[in-house]
Amino acid sequence: MSKDKIGSVMVVGGGIGGIQSALDLANAGFLVHLVEKSPAIGGIMSALDKTFPTNDCSMCILSPKLVEVGMHKNIHLLTLSEVESLEGEAGNFKVTVREHPRYIDVTKCIACGKCAEKCPRKVEDEYNQGLSRRKAVHVPYPQAVPLKYAIDKDHCIYFEKGKCRACEKFCPADAIDFDQKEKIYMLEVGSVIVAPGFRCYNPSGTDRYGYGRLPNVVTSMEFERILSASGPFEGHLVRPSDHKKPDKIAWLQCIGSRDIREDSHGYCSGVCCMYAIKEALVAKEHAGGKLDTAIFFMDMRTHGKGFEQTYNRAKDKEGVRFIRSRVHTIEPASDTGDLSVMYVTEDGQMITETFDMVVLSVGLEISDEIKALADKLGIETDSDRFALAGGFAPVATSKPGVYVCGAFAGPKDIPQSVMEASAASAAAAALLSSVRNTLTTEKTYPSEIPVLGEKPRIGVFVCHCGTNIGGIVDVPSVKEYAATLPNVVFAADNLFTCSQDTQEIIRQKIRENHLNRVIVAACTPRTHEPLFRETIQEAGLNPYLFEFANIRDQNSWVHQQEPEAATRKAKDLIRMAAAKASLLEAIEPLKIEVNPNALVIGGGVAGMSAALNLADQGFKTFLIERESQLGGNALHIRQTWNGHNVGAFVGELKKSVESHKNIEVLSGTEIAAIDGFVGNFTSTVQTGDVRREIQHGAVILATGGRASEPDEYLYGKSSRVMKWHELDYLFEKEPDKLEKATGVAFIQCVGSREPDHPYCSKVCCTASVQSAIRLKEKKPYLRVYILYRDMRTFGQREELYRKAREMGVIFIRYSVNEKPMVEKDGEDGLLITVRDHVLGRQIRIPADYLNLATAILPTEGQKQIAQMLKVPINDEGFYLEAHIKLRPVDFSTDGVFVCGLCHYPKPIEEAIAQAQAAAARTAGLLMKKTIDIEPIVSVVDEKKCIGCGLCELSCSFSAIRLKKVVGKGYRAENYSALCKGCGVCAAACPQHAIDMKHFREVQIRAAIHAGCTECADPVREAA
Amino acid sequence: MAEAAIRISKEKKSIFMDTVKEILPDKGNLNLCLTCGLCSSGCPATGLENMDPRKFLRMAALGLDDEITMHPWVWLCTMCERCLYACPMKINIPRLVYEARKLWPREKRPKGILGSCDMALRNMSCSAMGTPEEDFRFVVNDLLEEVRANQPGWENLQAPIDKQGAHFFLSQNSREPVTEPEEMVPLWKILHLAGADWTYSCTGWGGENYCMFLADDENWKKIAETTLQAARDLECRYYLNTECGHATYSVWMGQKRYGIKADDIEIVPIVRYYAKWIREGKLKVSSDWNKDRKIIFTTQDPCQQIRKSFGDPLADDLRFVIKSCVGEENFVDVYPNKSNNYCCGGGGGFLQSGYTEQRLKYGKMKFDQVMATRAKYVAVPCHNCHAQIHELSGHFEGEFHVIHLWTLIALSLGVLAENERAYLGPDLQEVNLPN
Repeated sequence: MSKDKIGSVMVVGGGIGGIQSALDLANAGFLVHLVEKSPAIGGIMSALDKTFPTNDCSMCILSPKLVEVGMHKNIHLLTLSEVESLEGEAGNFKVTVREHPRYIDVTKCIACGKCAEKCPRKVEDEYNQGLSRRKAVHVPYPQAVPLKYAIDKDHCIYFEKGKCRACEKFCPADAIDFDQKEKIYMLEVGSVIVAPGFRCYNPSGTDRYGYGRLPNVVTSMEFERILSASGPFEGHLVRPSDHKKPDKIAWLQCIGSRDIREDSHGYCSGVCCMYAIKEALVAKEHAGGKLDTAIFFMDMRTHGKGFEQTYNRAKDKEGVRFIRSRVHTIEPASDTGDLSVMYVTEDGQMITETFDMVVLSVGLEISDEIKALADKLGIETDSDRFALAGGFAPVATSKPGVYVCGAFAGPKDIPQSVMEASAASAAAAALLSSVRNTLTTEKTYPSEIPVLGEKPRIGVFVCHCGTNIGGIVDVPSVKEYAATLPNVVFAADNLFTCSQDTQEIIRQKIRENHLNRVIVAACTPRTHEPLFRETIQEAGLNPYLFEFANIRDQNSWVHQQEPEAATRKAKDLIRMAAAKASLLEAIEPLKIEVNPNALVIGGGVAGMSAALNLADQGFKTFLIERESQLGGNALHIRQTWNGHNVGAFVGELKKSVESHKNIEVLSGTEIAAIDGFVGNFTSTVQTGDVRREIQHGAVILATGGRASEPDEYLYGKSSRVMKWHELDYLFEKEPDKLEKATGVAFIQCVGSREPDHPYCSKVCCTASVQSAIRLKEKKPYLRVYILYRDMRTFGQREELYRKAREMGVIFIRYSVNEKPMVEKDGEDGLLITVRDHVLGRQIRIPADYLNLATAILPTEGQKQIAQMLKVPINDEGFYLEAHIKLRPVDFSTDGVFVCGLCHYPKPIEEAIAQAQAAAARTAGLLMKKTIDIEPIVSVVDEKKCIGCGLCELSCSFSAIRLKKVVGKGYRAENYSALCKGCGVCAAACPQHAIDMKHFREVQIRAAIHAGCTECADPVREAA
Repeated sequence: MAEAAIRISKEKKSIFMDTVKEILPDKGNLNLCLTCGLCSSGCPATGLENMDPRKFLRMAALGLDDEITMHPWVWLCTMCERCLYACPMKINIPRLVYEARKLWPREKRPKGILGSCDMALRNMSCSAMGTPEEDFRFVVNDLLEEVRANQPGWENLQAPIDKQGAHFFLSQNSREPVTEPEEMVPLWKILHLAGADWTYSCTGWGGENYCMFLADDENWKKIAETTLQAARDLECRYYLNTECGHATYSVWMGQKRYGIKADDIEIVPIVRYYAKWIREGKLKVSSDWNKDRKIIFTTQDPCQQIRKSFGDPLADDLRFVIKSCVGEENFVDVYPNKSNNYCCGGGGGFLQSGYTEQRLKYGKMKFDQVMATRAKYVAVPCHNCHAQIHELSGHFEGEFHVIHLWTLIALSLGVLAENERAYLGPDLQEVNLPN
C-alpha cells in the first residue's frame, strides 16, 4: 500500500491558509502543487490594510510568506488555474488542473509595467473593490507573487475587436504572447488540501442599506482598501462621493449575517466585530483623533485572544462609540452625500444621527464557484455551504485524504485559519509519512564569496513601503544621500523592497556592482531581516553581511506629522547602518544536531492529539500527564457544539494513544526540570518517587486550563448554585430533581470580562445554550433563563442560540455594572433579580437551580513550566505565542510549541486543530538531522579573560560557564547553542573580553559615532 | 420611571403570546427575537404611548399579559409590516398586534372602526357607510346621465352595474358615491378609453373592510366573501378595486387567510392595469402640460398594496404611471421607497380610531419625507393614504396637494373636467381642460 503512496500534496487556494499549508508541507519533505485561480497568491489577506488585534500591517506580515512560496524549491505554483476533477484515493490521487492562459510569458516578463502603462482599456480594479480602475493588462497588487503581468481576456481590446496589441508593441522583454492556450495538467498527489477561502457578502440586494445607491455607503472590504496605502485614495481617508475627509463614520454590524431572511445567512460570520473595531481604530489614527466613530451592533463578539482588551481600549481609551442597536434603513441626510441613521437606544429612545460615511460590516459566505469546487472534489458541504468537517478531525473532509482549512470550513479569522492550515498539513504529512522526502529537492546556495580583507562595497536599498515610508520621508533624496556615504557604491529606491521581483533586482545589483555588504532601509528587521539575508545568500554573500536600517517602525510611523525631520532621521539611520556595515564580517553557520523525539506536556485532548499526530508521522513521543489518567477537561464534556459525543471520542483517543508504538505515556508524572535547547532538550520527570531523564528535540506545551471558583451568586453557600457541568451531572444522577424543578437559570461571564480576568472565556455561551437546549428537550415546560452580557455563539454556533430561543429559553442581558442578585427563596429555591434590558424593569425570577459559567484559567504550574523553558506568558497567565496572527502555535524560543487551553480558552475542535498544527510545526523541526541556529552569539577572548565568573553569574541561559584551564585557573567558555545573543555577558565583563558576533563593540561604536556627525571618523579611531 | 418589578410566577400558565404562536405558521417566529431593536428603529409608532414594537414583543414574551391587554398602542401600530420586512428573524409582530386588538372587548374597540365595520354588515352592500345596494345604483346612474348630457364627447360613457361576464369586477370605495360622486367619473373615463370590459355590482359594491382593522376575523371574512362572491356570480375574471389599498388587501389577504374559494378569479391591483394600458398605448397620456410648468410630483407606496402584497413590481408600475403623466424629470421619489417606504399613518384603522394627536405625530415622518422631495403634489393610489397625507399637509403647513392617480391620468389624457379637480391646487385648475 505505502509503495503506491505519492510524496506530494495539492493545495487548492493561495490565500493565507493555502500558503501556510504549502509552506509547512514543503518544509516537511513534500512536494506541493499550489493551485490558485487568480493571477497571484495572497487572497483576501493581501487586500486588508491592518490585522486585528495588534493592528499589524497586513501586507507586511504576509509578504515574507508570499516571497517564501515564490522562492521555495518544493512548491510548484500554478496560478490562473482551477481543479477540474479528482480521481483515486487517499495516498494516491490524480488531479486534473486547467491552467488559463496569462498571455504573458512569465519567463520573460520583468514586471516593468510598460504594458499596463500603454494599455488603453480601463476596467474596475477588483483588488480595490471597484473603487479604482486598472488596465486590462495588470498585476493584482504591487507585492504580488508571482510578480508577472496578466492579460484579462474579458476586457482586452484585442480579444474583443481583433486589434490593438499596444502592450506587445511596447513590451521591452518580448513577453506578450497572444497565442498562449489553455493547458491541462494531470498531477499525481498523495493528498489534497482545500483552502478556497470565502467571498464577502454582497449587500446590494437589500434596499434598506442603500448600498450601490448611496455612494458613501461602503462595505468593510472597500473600507480596508480606502485605508490602505496601496488603495484607491493612497491611504487618505476620504469618502467616495466627493473625496471629502469624513468627520463621522458609522459601522453597521451583522450585514448578511445573523439574519434568517432569504437574502442573508443565519450564521454569525465570527470576524466582523473585531474588524470593525480595528477599522474604527485605524480610521481614528488616519484622521488624527478628530474622527467620530460609532459601531452599531447586537452582541459584541470579541471572543478571541486579546480581542476583549482591544474592545475595552477602543471603548474606554480611544472613544469609539458602541451603540447596541441594529439599524433598519440608511437614508440620505440631504443631497450633500451625508447619511442619516435612525436608531433606538437601549431604553427605547429614537435617535437620528448624521454620518459622512457608513461602513457595512459584511459577513463571509461561500460562493457558487467554491461550492462547485467542492462538488468536483466530491466533498460534502452543509446547509450553509461550508465544508463538512469531522467533529474531532476538524480538518478532515468527508473524503479520506482530502483536508480542508480556513473559512471554507466555517467562518473564522486569520490565526484560526493558519492553525487549521498547519493542522491540515499535519494530517497530510501523517498520511504520507512513509514517502516523505521522495519528491523534494534540497535548497542549495552558491559558494560564498570571500570578503575578508576586501574593501567594503556597500549597496543601499531604500524602501517606500507603498506610502508607509514614501508618504512621509522623501525617499529619493534619502537614496541620493545614501549614495554619498563612505563605502557606498550603489543606492536605489523601491516601492516595496520585500516584493519578489526586488529580490531578483538586489541579487542582480550585488553581481553587477560586486557589492559585499547590503543595507535595506525599510520596515523592521523583526519581520523582514530573514528574507533579505536569504536574498544576499542566494547571490553568494554570507547572510550576516546584511544590515537593516529601520526607517518605518522607528521613523515614518512615529514622525508622521514631521516629514522633514523624518527624512533627516532616515538619513541618520542609514549613515549609522553604513558605518556598521563597513565593519560587518561573515559569520559561520552554527549547526546543531536534532534529537528526533518529542515531549508533549499535558494529556488532555490537545496533548493527546498532538502526540498522536507526531507518532503517526513516525516520531517517538513522550506524553506527560500530571493526573493518573489521560483525558483532562474533556472527561467532563458531553458533546461538541455540533453535537458530537465527546466521551466516546476521548475513549477512542486514549486507546489510540496508549497503544501507539511510538508513544510512551507517563501519567501521574510531573516535570521537575527542563534543560537544553532546540533539538537537544533534557527533561527530568518525576513519577511518584522515581525520577527519570528524557532526551528530546522539541516540546509541545498542552498544559490545559481550569474553571475558576466563584465567590459570588451564593456559590458554595447554596447547594442549588453550581458551575459548568455540575448541573448536567446532577440531573443525570438524580432525574427526579429535574422532574420537580420549574425554573433553571444560567449566569454567564462569572469572573470573565472583569478586571481580574479581562478576557472572554469563549466557550461558555455555547456551553450554557447547549445545556439549556438539553433541559428544554427533556422538559419543554421548564422555564430556562440565560443571563448574559453579550451572547457569543460565534460562527455556526449561532444556530444553537436561535434554537434555544425557538424552544422558549428566555435571554436577559445584564450589565456588569448591575449584576443579577441571587438570594435564597425559602427552603427550596432561589430568587434571582435582574434588570430586563428591553423593558428597563427589574424581573424577579424564581429558580430551582442556578448554573454559573465561570472564567477559564490556565492550570496551576503553567508559570513554572514557562520559566523552565524561558517562554513568555501574557498578563492573564496564558502562554504567549510568537505572533498572534501568523505564528499561533510557535514561541520565539525555538523548539517549543503550544496548543489547547493553556494558550487561550477554546472549544475542543479548535484545541485539536491547534494540537495538529503544533505537531506539524514540531515535525518540521524533528525531521531534520541538523538545524541551523542563529550564530549571533557571544565570543570570549581567552587572552583577556581573567576568570572572574561575572559572565556566568549574569547569563540566564547557562550559555557561558567557567572552565578550568591548566595553569591559568578559570576561563570563560561559550555554549553557543544555548546563547540567545542578548549580550548581558559582554556588558558584565570588566575586561572587555567578551564580544557579540554581529554586534561587536567596534561595530556599535562605529554606528554611534556616525549617529553624531560631529564625532571623529569612527573607523579610523577604532583602528 | 420606577415601574414595578416584574414577578415571574412559579406556576406554569399559558400566556397570550403562546396562543398567538399556535395559530401562525412557524409560530410567527415570535420566540426568535434578538432584541436588536431594528424593528423599532424603522417604526414611526416608536415612542407613541411609550411603546415600540420590540418592547411590545418583549412584554408579550415575558407574559405581561395584564399590561398588554387594552394597551392603546395596538391601535397606533398600523400593522404596516415595515418591521417584518426587515426583521432578521422574520418575526410577525404585526400579527401579534392584530391578535392583541382582539384582547379588547369588541364594544370597547375604537368607535370609528367599530361603527364602520358594523355599518358594512347592515346590508349586502359591504359599504362602510351603509349605503344600500339600490342607492348605489341610483347614484351611479344619475351621475352617468349627467356626464353624458353635460360633457361633450362622453355621450357613450359607460358605468355598467351587474354586467354578467364582464372581464373586470370593480369594487368602489364608499367615499366617492356618498360624498363626492364626481370623483368616480375620471376612472370611468379611463376605463372607457382603455376599452376595459368592466362592471360594478350592487351586492358587495363597497370595497372597504373595517372589520379587518377591528380584528374581527368573522366579519372580515364575511365581507371579503360577499364581495368576492358577487364578482364570481357575475363570472368576472379579475377583481379590481378603485384605488384603495386596504380594500384590495382585505380581499386579497382575506381570500388566502380564510381559504375563500376563488379559483376562477384573480384579485389584482388597479395600478398594474393603468401601467399596462399606458404601455400598450391604450391610454395615450402626455406629460406635455408639465413640460414648462415643471411641477414636481412624488408618491406614496400604500403598505397594503406594495410591501404587504404585490411588492416592488407594483411600486415600479406606480412610478411608471406617474412619470408618464408628469414627465420623468418632474418626478422626485421619496426615500426610502417602494417596499421599504414608511407607512403614512392612515392605515390600520388609525384614521378612524380617534387617536388624532398620535396619528399626526406618527405621520410627521411621512410629512418630512415628502417635504424633502420639494414636491407640490403627492399622487397616491390609496384612500387612507390620501386622507392622511392630505391632513398632514394641512396640519404641518406643507402646502402640497394629494391626488388620486385617476385625477392625474385623466388630466394627462386631457379628459379631466372642471368639476373633477377638487384635489388639484389652483395651479392646475385650468390646465389641460377638455375642449
